Order: sequence, then C-alpha cells, then structure tokens
Amino acid sequence: MSNMIMKTPASIDELVMCLKQSDDNTYLLSGGTDLIIKLRNSKIYEGTLIDLTGIDDLKQIKYNAEYIKIGAAATFNQITSNTMLIKHAKCLVQASSQIGSTQIRNAATLGGNIANAFAGADAIPALIALDAMVTILKSDKTTYTKPIDEIIKGSRKNTLYKDEAIIEISIPIANDNCISAFAKLGSRSRVTISKLNIAATAQVKDGTIEAVKIVLGALGTKAFRALSVEKAIENKDISEALYTAFENELVKQVDEAIPNRSSLGYKREAIRGLAEDVYFDLFGSMVRKVKCHD
Amino acid sequence: MILDFNVNGRDYSIEADARARLIDVLREDLGLTGTKEGCGEGECGACTVIIDGLAVNSCLVMAHQTRGKRILTVESLKQDGELDSLQKSFINNGAVQCGYCTPGMLMSCKALLMRNPNPTEHEIREAIEGNLCRCTGYVKIINAVKEVVKESKAPSEEDHHE
Repeated sequence: MSNMIMKTPASIDELVMCLKQSDDNTYLLSGGTDLIIKLRNSKIYEGTLIDLTGIDDLKQIKYNAEYIKIGAAATFNQITSNTMLIKHAKCLVQASSQIGSTQIRNAATLGGNIANAFAGADAIPALIALDAMVTILKSDKTTYTKPIDEIIKGSRKNTLYKDEAIIEISIPIANDNCISAFAKLGSRSRVTISKLNIAATAQVKDGTIEAVKIVLGALGTKAFRALSVEKAIENKDISEALYTAFENELVKQVDEAIPNRSSLGYKREAIRGLAEDVYFDLFGSMVRKVKCHD
Repeated sequence: MILDFNVNGRDYSIEADARARLIDVLREDLGLTGTKEGCGEGECGACTVIIDGLAVNSCLVMAHQTRGKRILTVESLKQDGELDSLQKSFINNGAVQCGYCTPGMLMSCKALLMRNPNPTEHEIREAIEGNLCRCTGYVKIINAVKEVVKESKAPSEEDHHE
C-alpha cells in the first residue's frame, strides 16, 4: 500500500475544498496520460491526487456568441468531434486529432495538456494562434483569466500555484473570413511526438492576407509566435511567390530560435515541409484561384 | 479506499490503493489476467480495455478514476462458452501469432465496432493505431475485422434479396 490519497470532487465547490488543502505533494489528475507515467518514473508514493474527471462541468464544451468554452477535462476526442470547433478552430481540431492514439485521445484532456506544458505539445501552438484564454480557479473560489501564452513558462513549467486549477479554455469566435491550419512532424506519421509543429490563423479578404498568426512549437522550450514570418506575409496577396517568402522566413526563424542545438540542421530543412503543409492548407484554394485569373 | 465499479457486467466493491492503476486492479485484485501490460506508458496498447464504450489504456488510468463506470476486458468477449465473432475471425485469419498484443487489439477493434459497425479500412487502421503488433504486420488483423463486418452485413443483405 502507498501513502497516497485520492480526492474525488464531484463539483466545483468540492474542488475548492480540495484546493484549500493543497500542498507541494498535491497533484491534479485529469486524463492521467502524462501524470501517471510521471508518478511511476519519479517513484512518487505519497501525496494527494485530486481527480478532476468526476466534475461534469469540466467535461463540457459550450459556446455563446463570442466564445467557445472548453471544459479543462474535455478529452481530445471530444474536441475532434465538436462541430463548433471544427468550424471555428480547425487548427485545434487538427492538432487534437494527431495527438497520440485513439486510446490516448479518449483519455487525455486539454487542461492537462496545458498544465503539463510540454515543449512538443500539439494543442498549445494551436491555442496560442487562436488567442485562447485560460480560466483558473483559486482556492478562495475566485477565478482569473489569462492568455494561454502567459500560463506556459517553459518546458514542463506553468505559472499555476499549488492551490489553483485550470477549469476552462475559451476560444474567441472570429468572423467567417478567419481560417486556420496545423501541421506537425514526428518520427512517424501517426502516434508520434512532435519534433516540430506549426499552427496558423489568418484573416483573408479578396485574396489578401489581412492578419495572420504563425506559432511554432517544439522549437526551444515553449511555443512562440514567429513575428518576422507573420510580417513577411501580412497585407500581401496570396500567391506562389509569397509561399517562397514564407518558407524562407520560417527557415530563418529556426536558425534564430535554436542556433546552438544539434537538431538545427534537421529542423531548418524539416520546417520547409511543414511550411508547405500549412500554407497550402490555409491558402491552397486561393493560390489556384489566383492562377486561374492569370 | 473503496472502489465501486462494474467489470464485464458484474458489480464490484473492492478496497483499492489510491495509487493503483486500472490494470493493476484488473490483474492483481480481480484476477483478470487477459489484459496485458507491455510498455506501461501508452505506446503499445496491450492493456487496452473499454471504459463506458471507449477504448482506453488501462495502464494510464487510475483505478479510482473508473468509479461508477462500466469496464469491459477481453474476458467479456466470450459468452456462454462461445468465442465472439471477432475472436473467431482473428483465429481464421491468422491474426494471432505470439498473442501478447491480441487482448488489446481485440478490445480496440471491439470498441470501434460497438460505435461503428461498418468501418472503412481507414477507420480500422485508426482504431488500432495505438496497438503495436510485432508479428503479424497488421494486415491479417485488419482483414479479420473486415471479415466480421462483411459477415455481420451478410444476413440483412440476404433478407433484402428475399
């Protein structure tokens, strides 16, 4: 027998009671696909587990006129089958559908993916590109909301205190001109951890890219916006020539991000493949349209 | 800590350690050793069981997270001494060699067929993407599932012709 205790709150109020007693040996358990491995590898035999998966409110995906609100304990398979997310957050759905296997996606949760803050996480770049906001519950029952980027500190590090829990992720519903895409590269095509990933959102009007966000993941300790790449294609007309500029700027971004890493040689070439995937996923139909006009 | 759950149609109320995973309780406490542990980190899928209709790695879920849930293990497939059509098809198609991946492979396929009785080959491949098999090369496993789908459709098609 271990000296571990498991608390099983069934409501937010009960979760608050659990958080009040949190200490350094308290672990929030959601899908378990990362935490259970960590508990075993680190030979952790004592402490308190707070199971978030018994709280129905945290498993819902809801929406209003402005936001899609994903409960922290919603699984990736719930995300991939949600019609609102398919329509308004395609890059998150694409990222979620490529996480682990069917079994992992049936258990792993979006809140867990954020809290785990793995540098190669797939959902995080998509959430940054979508301007997602994260709502956190404190042990005094108040909540606060922060942009996803401010929650992630670095590899496996988040800004949460021990008596706090992620409860909701809100994605603003953009207008119909907003499109998004996600692409990843791992050591195999499926059931693979990203060696490099990219998420992008763009607003397009009459063949011109009016606004764009490009986020790179698994390149350094945390996912980040590639501002120089965004600048290279913003307010430009969609074309194949613009694709070349996009690709070259991404290579430069890789050079700048990991100048001393042994993986640089591989990643500066690999990014070209992801550049192509994401650019033509976003703008492919419009590139062809432009060509027809010529 | 008491765990109340239903495994293979039977209600259990057992004492389980807070740190025990579902696979530990299934194998050690309930003696259901059909479920295998391979990698212990969600890569191989040998430990796959069905929880409330969904295929899940039993090595990556804490036993107490399954409180109040319905779990199916490979032992549930055989009914009244007769193997499930999926098991028979695995045998007929040579989809079993060393057998270690088989319980997990069967439960991933079963979960698919419970939700989608008429899957495409792509859907079958996706359902077993989290199950590693180093013997058969997957083709025979996929053929076994396809055969079950085909046979389950056959009677209704005959009815239609009549």
